[in-house]
Formats: sequence, structure tokens, C-alpha cells
Amino acid sequence: MNEIITDYTTEEKLNILADAAKYDVACTSSSSDRRGKKGFLGNTKACGICHSFASDGRCISLLKILMTNHCVYDCRYCINRASNDIPRATFTPEEICELTVEFYKRNYIEGLFLSSGVLKNPTYTMEKMCETLLLLRNKYHFNGYIHVKTIPGASDELLATAGYLADRISVNLELPTAESLSKLAPNKSFKTILEPMGKVSDTIKAHRVAIGKDARMERSRGNMYLSNSIFQSRQSIERQEGITEASVKNALVPSDGGKLKRSFAPAGQSTQMIIGATDESDYTLIKTTEKLYQSYDLKRVFYSAYIPINEDRVLPQIGTPPPLLREHRLYQADWLLRYYGFRANELLSEEKPNFNELLDPKCDWALRHLGYFPVEVQRAPYDLLLRIPGIGPRSAGRIIYGRRYGTLDFDNLKKMGVVLKRAHYFITCNGHRLYNTPIEESYITRQLIDTNGRDNWKVNNQNNTYTQMSLADFGIG
Amino acid sequence: MKIFCCKDRFEDILTCIYDAWSCALKEGHNNIRLMREPVWQQSLFDEYIHVDADREKTEKVIRSIKKSISNQAYFWVFYASLSVEEDALQSIYNFLRVGFAVGAGVCSMYANPHVMRILELKRRIGNESHYFREFARFTSLEDKAYVCHIEPKNNVVTIVAEHFADRMPSEHFVIVDDNRRVAVVHPKDEELYLMYLTEKEFDVLSRSEDFEDEYTRLWRTFFKTIGIKERENRACQRNMFPIWMRKHAVEFKE
Repeated sequence: MNEIITDYTTEEKLNILADAAKYDVACTSSSSDRRGKKGFLGNTKACGICHSFASDGRCISLLKILMTNHCVYDCRYCINRASNDIPRATFTPEEICELTVEFYKRNYIEGLFLSSGVLKNPTYTMEKMCETLLLLRNKYHFNGYIHVKTIPGASDELLATAGYLADRISVNLELPTAESLSKLAPNKSFKTILEPMGKVSDTIKAHRVAIGKDARMERSRGNMYLSNSIFQSRQSIERQEGITEASVKNALVPSDGGKLKRSFAPAGQSTQMIIGATDESDYTLIKTTEKLYQSYDLKRVFYSAYIPINEDRVLPQIGTPPPLLREHRLYQADWLLRYYGFRANELLSEEKPNFNELLDPKCDWALRHLGYFPVEVQRAPYDLLLRIPGIGPRSAGRIIYGRRYGTLDFDNLKKMGVVLKRAHYFITCNGHRLYNTPIEESYITRQLIDTNGRDNWKVNNQNNTYTQMSLADFGIG
Repeated sequence: MKIFCCKDRFEDILTCIYDAWSCALKEGHNNIRLMREPVWQQSLFDEYIHVDADREKTEKVIRSIKKSISNQAYFWVFYASLSVEEDALQSIYNFLRVGFAVGAGVCSMYANPHVMRILELKRRIGNESHYFREFARFTSLEDKAYVCHIEPKNNVVTIVAEHFADRMPSEHFVIVDDNRRVAVVHPKDEELYLMYLTEKEFDVLSRSEDFEDEYTRLWRTFFKTIGIKERENRACQRNMFPIWMRKHAVEFKE
């Protein structure tokens, strides 16, 4: 299985290795801001740039490929597991560099997303990946975005080199509990995943302090004004303050010392969890997410609705539709944690472990806490405004600024971007309601399910295309 | 009523505002209107006054916006001037009326309709220029120079070009706005400049799109492969990448 020499062309290799990489979710190019330099190619933008949208509606921002899809591991959920009989290929470092640079110059992509199956052993694979990145940065003078996946079990020096060369570094948690991980990925363990994650997070902190930034990653600006967000909790602050010494001690050092004059993973690290392959509840997932944000200061946690691709006893059958609505709800909740100052146990609890299929998590929360409503938008504080369904960080900010210069009315609110069809049940403006609606759980629930229904149907039925009937359908004409 | 008209260029627009303002001091702000040319339908009882660009007046307007309002307001005005909307010039004028009365705080007056209007125009320009940062595609002319054609609704070609000048400082490239026949040229390691294309130049440049190379093919392969069949969602794709923007995107050409 090692080093099988094949004569695939670059196009065939690209086909095989992009196909193998497509199940990875993280295709973002955000949160790293770097100006271009003369003689180099590329810059990065903090907002991230998507360059195209694939047939599944997901953005294509990075050239998402595996270095190789040979793999010695046999994770049951993975298309590239050792026991699968599929075409296998390996890119040479030069091929990857050429592709990245040429695509980048034509503005097809924003950078490179490099992951890999485990060829021979983790260290060997990681070495190859670092070689590629080094070549790309130093010989091809590529200054754009690079996202690199680390291989669990690779040595610390290689992890450090990868971190200094890339913008974002990530290791996939895959499953939220140790039991399901040992069930589905017998060659991986929580330790081999969380250990490098911890080391990278310590190095990022040490590096950020060293270059004069706050040890914690930047979060959305709104979080500054929220006293109760997950990034402000005692737990995460304690860890932050205790870090400086501990993390300096734990910080990774690349084997060639400080020769790489680059920032260590300026866009932070991220991870990904598969949902629907095992029977964890949404509560477990969202709790795990919160813990990851707080203790490892991850920039993002991604979810991937499991698509059955392997025949396996412990997995859902092939042909089972992926749980897209559930994935959608989890992302909504993830946003509530990162931008809206919600906490995991506010959204779900042991007694109510799964999200409501019919309502989004924020509406659901509001309906369970009708005591806070109606909120008077002229006077309400920022954190309360953010809790109103239909008002987000942008419109809340505009309300705060706008009301200093005069009283607002519903028309203004609408222009500011407030979604009145959801918000009007929960607000008053200068003491007036938009319509005379009762603050009553069953009534508002009915109304909101009606407005949400269309969106939910779209998520669930995105593959169905209904078209106008024509005579040809009946064999006429 | 007096209607001040000018060409659709930034200097002309600011000069027009200057002249209109000085006239309004005599006749009242409500008795004048501003419009960009071409004026398709003239009304019978109005007086149309054409204004040509004047360096000095332009600078005066810029200086007083920056001084009496704020840099942010100037930025908004600049962005709004690129808009294709018919009332763009009048909206800028209305905004400046509020701005000179209120001062720097005007940029937070979200309840004022004139401020909201210019904010809306600015946002549209910002959004569209971001779209073309995403979806502009360069054709490589034998690795020597790169040409890109875009057909934006608003006049965003300069904003888009600035982004690429920072991104690829050491490449020769040209970005052509096919609708307005304007090109922004970036010679290797030098500054950008704007060119109004002649018929002949435009024809030569528009032939560049026939060039295709190995990487165009590879990109199409990648684009086709990366979508997950089980999650296919064309409606979402159309939402994110509207069809009118796909005209020059090579992955959608067969």
C-alpha cells in the first residue's frame, strides 16, 4: 500500500483528491488580515472571500484537497479508510504549489486547504505536508491563506512548523465523546486529538502575547458589550490569566528555531464534528462546542451532517438522507454562542436535549422566556436587544446609535434591518406595538411556526425540484 | 426650478454640488434639483444647467466635507457617487444638507431618511464590489499578463482593482468594465491607472476571453468534483452566486 507508483495525470489526481476532501467542512478564509508585499503573491482579508459556490450551495474559498488519500487508519465513517477499495493518488509538493499559485493568480481561490490521509505514519505525512507549505511560502512566494489540517500523532516540531507556515491550523475532533470515537475511529483517541489542540492553543496565546496582542483571539465586536457571553466567563478568564507562564512553557518551537519570521496561526484553530453518525444529543454537541471555545479558544467549530458512504453495521444505512436541518440548527446555535451572548445551557438542557425542528433556537428561547417581553427598543440595553428574535448584532448596533439622535418608529426599524415579521411579537416602540398581538406562548408559537415553516421546508427538501408540467410529460408534443 | 446636470464622474459630481449649493443660497435648497447625465426626458418648465468639472471647486467641497462633517461622511459620499441609481446625486446633496447642519454625528442618524438613503447606496456599492472581488476571473495571457472582464451594475471597477493591486503587486493585469468601457491597468510593481477605452482597444481586450489553458480545465474539474451530490442545492447556489454574475466565471461555461 505504500508508495504505489501510478501514472495519474494531474487532472486525474485532482479529481481523486478533491473528491476525497469534499466532506471536510471548513472552507473559510477569514480572520487573518495581511497586506500584500512586492515580489510576493497574495494577501488575506479578515472578512474572508468566497470565490465560487458549488452545486451543493457551499462556498468554494480554498483549494480543498488531500495531499494523499492513502491511509493506514480505518475510521469507519471515512471514505478513505484503509479497507475501502477506491482509486488512490498522491500529489507531489510541486504539483500542489503549482495548482495553488496558478489558481490564485486567476482569482479562482483564496488559498490552500491541505489535509491528508495517513501515509506510512503520522510523522512522515506531516513532514511531507510541511515540505509542501515551506515550498509554497518560500519558493513560490505565496502570501495568501493556508489552512492546514494536522495529523494526530505527529511530532511537536512538525506541528510548530505547520503553525508558523499556515494561517489556520486545525485538527478534527470528529465525534463529541470518547466512546463514539473509539467505536468509529479505532486508531484515534481523544488524547491524540486534544493534546495537539492544547499545544497549538498555548502556542497561539504565547505568540499573541509576544507580539503585543491580547492572549485571546479576537471575537465579534458585540462581545465587548456583553457581560455574560461564553468568552467572558470566569472559567475562560481564569485559564487566560494562568496561561502566560504555562503556555510559554508548552509553546511549540519549530526545529529550525526562529528562522520562520511569521505569525503562528494568525487565524487561530478550528475543529469539526460529524453529526448523525452516532446518537449524541444536540445538548452534548453544543456543550462540547462551548467547552472547546472556552478552554481551547477555538475560532470556529464546524459541524458536518453525516452522509452515509460506507457500508457498516454501526453506521446509518447508505441512502439515509443527511440530517441537514439538524446541522442547520446547530450552526444557528453556534452563532448564538459566538455573537449573541447565549450559553449552551440556556438553549438546551438535560430534559430537553434536542433542538425544536419547527423553530429556530432563538425563537425557541424567547418563547420559553416570555417574561422578558415585550422589550422597549428605545431603552433596552444591548444584550437584551440581541435576545429579540429578528434583531441581530448589526441592527442592534444601529438601534443603539440611531436612538441617540431621535425617537425610532417601526419604519425606521425596518430600514435598519430588523426582521419585523419575527420581532414584532416581542417589542414595543415608544410604548406601541406594531399590531395588537397578545404575548401568549401558544399564539406566538403558532404564528412563528408559520413564518419559519417555509425556511425549514427549503432546508429539508432542497433536492426536490418541482417544475411546471408540460405536455411533453404526458408524451404529447 | 433649476436642475443642475453633470457627467457621471466624481469631479463633475462634486463641482455640480458646489454650483448647486451656491445657487441654493440665493434661491433656497428646495428650489433646485441635481441630476446626472444623460437626462432622458426633460420637463417643460425647468431650467437645465450643465456643469463641467472644476478642480478648485472639487477640492473645496472635499475639504469642507472632511472638515465640517467627517472623513467617514466623505467616504460615504464617494461610494454613493459610484452608484447607478438615478437619484444618487440628489441623495448625496440631501445628505450633505443634513450633514452640514448637524456635523460629525450625521453618520449615526439612522432615523433620518436622507442618511438612510445614502447608507443604503453605500452599502450596495460595498456589496457589489465585494461580489466582484469574489467572482472576477482572470485569464492568463501566456503567464505574462492577466486580463479580467466584469460587468457590474454600479461603477465599482476602481474599488475592485485596488483590492487586486494589493493582492498581486508583482503581476501585470488589466480589469475591464465591459459596460462602461473603462479599464484599470496595473503594470508590474507600479501604481494603478484608469483608462477610458477606445473602440479598437476594447475589441482587442475583449478577445482575451477566448484564451483558455490547462488551469481553466483543471479548475472546472475541481469545481465539478467538490460539490456533494447528496446535498445538491441549486437554489442555494443561485442565491449565493446570482446568474447574472456568472457571465465571466469560467466554471459555468461549457
